[in-house]
Amino acid sequence: MAYQAGIAKFNDTDTKVFGISTDNTPSQREFAAKNNITVPFLSDFAKREVSKEYGVLIESAGMANRATFVIDKDGKILHIEEGNSAIDPTGAAEACSRAAHRGQ
Amino acid sequence: MRKLSVALLGVVAGAGLFAQGITPPKTQLKVGDEAPDFSLPSTQGGRVKLSDFHGKNVVVLAFYPAAFTGG
Repeated sequence: MAYQAGIAKFNDTDTKVFGISTDNTPSQREFAAKNNITVPFLSDFAKREVSKEYGVLIESAGMANRATFVIDKDGKILHIEEGNSAIDPTGAAEACSRAAHRGQ
Repeated sequence: MRKLSVALLGVVAGAGLFAQGITPPKTQLKVGDEAPDFSLPSTQGGRVKLSDFHGKNVVVLAFYPAAFTGG
């Protein structure tokens, strides 16, 4: 997972990173174990509700589109990447860094 | 002729809907919006609630299609 490679970029901030997919938790655990991923994964398996609310659900496939949301400490969206650009965590990392340096 | 036009319009509209079904979605959320709160089960046990991080952490949510697609 590219995010794992880029995770060091988030280390200097008090940022929590979560992967979200519509897989169930056991599948996600298996995937994490096989790929030595330490980032927690959240399962949107039950109702696909969160993928829907964030507008990233591919209805026909019942899966989430690739997308990254950075949320600041006030719960406001700071940065959005959708589709293939979301694979590269640089933009998200910069948004996190900006949020941290705002001294919240 | 008019009937044909209406039928053609129907076909075009239908094709448009089909294309929409396979086109990746575009989120309605914008920078500055309140992030929708949620509570989901975590691979590290228990549930994670977004609002628990309010006032404490910046949160990055990385949505991805399925665990076995890699990336």
